[in-house]
Amino acid sequence: MIAKQNFFTRNRGILIFFVVMLLMPFLIGMIEGSTPAMVLSNSGSFSKFLEGLGIEIFIFALFALSYDLLFGVTGLLSFGHSMFFAVPAYLTGIALKTMHLPFWQVILLVLLVAVVQALLFSLVLPRVKGVTFTLVSLGLASVFHIIVMSSDMINLTGADVGLQGVPTPSFIDPASQRFRFYLIALVLLVATYIFYRRFVSSPTGRVAVAIRENEGRAKMLGYNTTTFKIVVMIISSITAAIAGMLHALYQPIISPSVADLGYTVTGLLIVLIGGVGTLSGAVVGAFVLRLLDFSLRRFIGESASFITGAIYVIFVLFVPYGIVGTLRLKKLSTKAGLKDLIARLTGKV
Amino acid sequence: MKNTLQKNSKAIIVLAFIAFFLFFAARGMSGKDVVITVLRGFSAGSVTFLVAAGFSLIFGLLDVLNLSQGTLYMIGAYVGWTVYVRPDTFIDILTPVLLILVGFTLKPLWNRLAGKVQLQAKVRKVLSWLTIAVGIILLGLLLTRYPIASWDLNNYSESPISYSYMADQGLRIIPAEVTFDQISPVVAILGLLASSSLAAFGVALLSREEKLLQSFNWRKFLPAACLFVIGILCVVFNAQITAWMFALSTNWLFVIAIVVAVVAGVSLGALMETTLIRPLYSRPIYQLMLTLGLGTIGVQIVQAVWGRPEFVWPKPALFAGTGGACPATNLTDLFQNQCSTVILLGGRVRVYDEIFIPIVGVIVLILVWVLLKRSRIGMIIRAGVQDRQMVEALGINVRRVFTQVFSLGVGLAAFGGALAAPSSGLTPIMGDKLLLNSLIALAVGGLTSFPGAALGSLLVGLIQQFMIKYGQIGIPIPFTEIVFKPSPALVPASTVLLMVIVLLILPNGLLGKKE
Repeated sequence: MIAKQNFFTRNRGILIFFVVMLLMPFLIGMIEGSTPAMVLSNSGSFSKFLEGLGIEIFIFALFALSYDLLFGVTGLLSFGHSMFFAVPAYLTGIALKTMHLPFWQVILLVLLVAVVQALLFSLVLPRVKGVTFTLVSLGLASVFHIIVMSSDMINLTGADVGLQGVPTPSFIDPASQRFRFYLIALVLLVATYIFYRRFVSSPTGRVAVAIRENEGRAKMLGYNTTTFKIVVMIISSITAAIAGMLHALYQPIISPSVADLGYTVTGLLIVLIGGVGTLSGAVVGAFVLRLLDFSLRRFIGESASFITGAIYVIFVLFVPYGIVGTLRLKKLSTKAGLKDLIARLTGKV
Repeated sequence: MKNTLQKNSKAIIVLAFIAFFLFFAARGMSGKDVVITVLRGFSAGSVTFLVAAGFSLIFGLLDVLNLSQGTLYMIGAYVGWTVYVRPDTFIDILTPVLLILVGFTLKPLWNRLAGKVQLQAKVRKVLSWLTIAVGIILLGLLLTRYPIASWDLNNYSESPISYSYMADQGLRIIPAEVTFDQISPVVAILGLLASSSLAAFGVALLSREEKLLQSFNWRKFLPAACLFVIGILCVVFNAQITAWMFALSTNWLFVIAIVVAVVAGVSLGALMETTLIRPLYSRPIYQLMLTLGLGTIGVQIVQAVWGRPEFVWPKPALFAGTGGACPATNLTDLFQNQCSTVILLGGRVRVYDEIFIPIVGVIVLILVWVLLKRSRIGMIIRAGVQDRQMVEALGINVRRVFTQVFSLGVGLAAFGGALAAPSSGLTPIMGDKLLLNSLIALAVGGLTSFPGAALGSLLVGLIQQFMIKYGQIGIPIPFTEIVFKPSPALVPASTVLLMVIVLLILPNGLLGKKE
């Protein structure tokens, strides 16, 4: 049995992360020569730029977290996950731009649609399993991509140019109130992460892990696995919806590429780099991928995506557990080695 | 008889429903529209079938869902285009490729040598990776200096678009020949041989020692010697071969292009299976992710080499005639004038797109069917789909069959690409569209069933073409005055809908076996 720990020791890692990310703009501001007050009022240029990069990373991390819950924890390999991200993103954009809804209604609407969407995917769940589910999800997502790209809806979605000019509510406008936006994204990420950790170690989460390991056995033990899958699907969809909404509010253009297979692959790549099923791997992977992509694009240019692809293949072949997973394995073996050494030294073999 | 009917009642009902739908759809059209739409459906179905057949063979035997199949289809098209429109580039590239292959086909020799090397396991590993790295870096250095006549993406008059346009107009300008000015030919040839041998030796060092001391005779040098001789001939008689290929009739050039595309596909497939897929048989999900990643990388490579814009593959002379009695109304006219179009039941039908492609599709279907039913390897494949462990236990080298089937599947996809490109044009996104179509076809027909792949592809092709036709004339929605016109972009959505419905009723597809 694991000894009972209080909230702070249990979530030490993510809380340290929270504090560091919270202080980051101020520290960068100090190096840059701007006071904390200037950072708060968004006049430091480099710290503002880093905040922007941070927001993108947090959105990626949220998206990857939701994918990790679905694929890494529950073992449902969906190739339509970009739809969970793109539908709320487009919906936010359309609701704010065309329908002029108040912001709180938009939030409610997006959350509702996220749940409905998860239920739509769940409709096929009890019938199709394994690879067929992957195919069906791919099919559903590509239908959405086709609809977004088609010229029939050009007034709403902007077809292949993307949805432009979404009016972001002024109190979180990423141009003038970026620090606020950064703070909200950070808090959302940290809260989601803590919730996910709690969920995975809860009885429901344990059943989800059991479904990944051996669905037949979980069924034999009397669990209605479909219900658990639907629960996971809804949680994952809501998280991806939050990420999609942040994306729609932050980016000036919602490009249709967020709806295609490539975006799912990005999520998969993040999870793979960080470590499948580790949750913290999603956050680590988002940082690594975004920063790597950013620097490669800066120094190499167009061929950066080719290098990202090569990294993907290398990770699949040689680092299947990802960064976090491999480190954990290493840590275990180091611990065992240390114990062995101490036992040998004290003569208690 | 009654038993089979009962067993497959759901599949029969679904099929009857689809047939009814198609019949109903056809009623609203005029006769010539129906003929053209059905023929186009067959054409689209044939191309989808070529990709889906490879898919189903690979998935049935290897349990690998090869999601890079669409990209390989596209690569087949682009390779074929290169041979057809720029034979000089093809001949220039042939030499280095063959010379690199020589190094790797000498594998028995390297295995023998590596078996004699006595080293500690760790040193051996480091040494082998080092050799591979040095070999690859040397190869890269040599290849960047090797002269290859090519197009220029930044210069419009020398871009692939212009070359295909000129070839379409019948103006086959022979581009300037490039010469060995950065590197002497002898150094290039020897260097390529040496560096590929080095890399191959490194690979041989990596493998386990007990495998290395296998039987060895001089006959195993024969393929390497052949490749070497052809490679040298290509570099010595480069100008003559290029001139000969430019002078060749486009029909023969087309045949050569298709053959080269298939050979490229088969070799790519063999390479992928042996190096990338094989280490992952114990981790099936990772195989899926790997093939998906390879597909995206392939698209990037194609975009970098051939550019993003769309261009055409001019049709060979046999299907491009326009003068005289064209469009043809009878067979003699058709063959005498080699018409590009023909009048069939009052409708104007393109010979290549709507008649030639379906015929080829049917021929391939029959050939693969015969291969599966009548040959030894077909027997092994069918047995392997049923029960892989048993086949292995009977002493058959299943791994080798895996490689063969994988290359066969990829070769079929590349063939499909080269066949479809003259009618559909070449874009870097052509693979994605076809991947989706063939996945739907497979899911509808049954994932591991070969006849299911054929049936599913046919259904997907027909339904898509009927939807496109309806986009032009509109669907009158019953009991209302509204006429719904689906735009062409929405057409793929209709087949996805078909897939979801079929899968909800029959989770294993129409012809898939029940688990």
